[in-house]
Amino acid sequence: MQPSTEYSRDRCVTGVHGLDEILRGGIPYGSTVLVAGTCGSGKTTLGMEFLVRGATTGEACAHFTATEPSVKLLENIRQFSFFDMKMIDSGLINVFDMDVLYSWLGLEKASFDLQDVYALIKAIVDIVNTIGVTRLVIDSVTTLCYKIKSDQLIRDFLFTLGKKLATLGCTTLLIAEITSATANAHWSSFGVEEAIADGIVVMGDVERMGHLLRYLQVVKMRGTQHSRAKYAIELTPLGVMLTPMLKWGALNDRTGSWGN
Amino acid sequence: MMFEFDNGIAEQLTEISLNSAIQVRCGNSNAFMVTASTIVPLMQKFEMGGIYISASRGAVEIIQAFETIGVDVSTIHFIDLVSSGILGGTDVPYDNITFIDSPIMLESILLSTLYRLRTTDNPRNFVFIDSVNALAIYNEEKMLAEYLHTFINTFRQREVLTVILNIPDQVPPSVLSNLDLYCTDLIDRGQVVIH
Repeated sequence: MQPSTEYSRDRCVTGVHGLDEILRGGIPYGSTVLVAGTCGSGKTTLGMEFLVRGATTGEACAHFTATEPSVKLLENIRQFSFFDMKMIDSGLINVFDMDVLYSWLGLEKASFDLQDVYALIKAIVDIVNTIGVTRLVIDSVTTLCYKIKSDQLIRDFLFTLGKKLATLGCTTLLIAEITSATANAHWSSFGVEEAIADGIVVMGDVERMGHLLRYLQVVKMRGTQHSRAKYAIELTPLGVMLTPMLKWGALNDRTGSWGN
Repeated sequence: MMFEFDNGIAEQLTEISLNSAIQVRCGNSNAFMVTASTIVPLMQKFEMGGIYISASRGAVEIIQAFETIGVDVSTIHFIDLVSSGILGGTDVPYDNITFIDSPIMLESILLSTLYRLRTTDNPRNFVFIDSVNALAIYNEEKMLAEYLHTFINTFRQREVLTVILNIPDQVPPSVLSNLDLYCTDLIDRGQVVIH
């Protein structure tokens, strides 16, 4: 047998039904992936499943929440049939409120400067390092970046954070809120998140004759060949489930641009 | 009045290969008789569980029709594509029904079916579509043909028997010819003699 000359990076197997198949095995380890989507598209659910699946295989996971209180988030995690409260008790899943973190760091202010940004990066990296986190979700990076007023600072923040997390072998999902998932849209609110990410997963809705159908599309993923097709998704107690969107459906489907 | 099953269907179903797809043709007047005559042997003779996708009528109506002829379908899960379109239609006394907003949500139907199959204990299952005609009311011909192609192959790969009910003279020709191509078996009760 001829030895394979193809180089393949080790993967973080997400465990999400169908997603690893789309990614031909999973997310390359240490990647920073932007999960950009419209409201109600399933971003937070995907992020939570990513962590719970990791905890199932004994990985330490962390979730930084800036959009909803951790208590509410934990209530939502319980919907998964494969979730076990022991994952929290044993410290495999760690949820942090960004407000609490800001308070610890003395960052209770309307906007962050360079020093604040580096303090925040250091705090996140310290937590990841101390716990030995291999899966991280920041939900949402949009809310977090609202406090950073310059595009350059946002770029520095995300680039430095991604680089440091990758060094620690941590695979990160940055959840981003967008108001439109149309072909001409940016995949992020500030237009800089997408530039520094190793991967971009877009989530949104297509409208088919007045009904909304959720979809997911991997637009970019460095280090792996992957499908770039649109997949319909359902959020179930067994997690996110995917199936390819019907090609002929595209004739009637309209991609949502809510809020525009 | 005693319900009369079409025993010829049970006789035709002598051997079930889970990765096959059966096209069941019926007429307007014998649709339920053909449906019951197909499903009952699958449940009782082959001890299969299953998913019943009801696009022609609400699931409650179908469950009650089975109850009327003395067939317990509580082990079958129903995916109801009709009742969400009727206000109050989803307030039902059965817990083996999942409601989908509309028959145009074809991908959601597939995913809900896959989800239900993943939660069932029975290793041998069928998926019954009632009917292609009802799906054709809402879905464009090419899209429906594509869907059935995807649907049959999805379940064939998962070793789940697909059974597709249709009234042939009301199905778009390209959909019908594709069904002929994809399905491995045919139960033809499409020619109904009215006495």
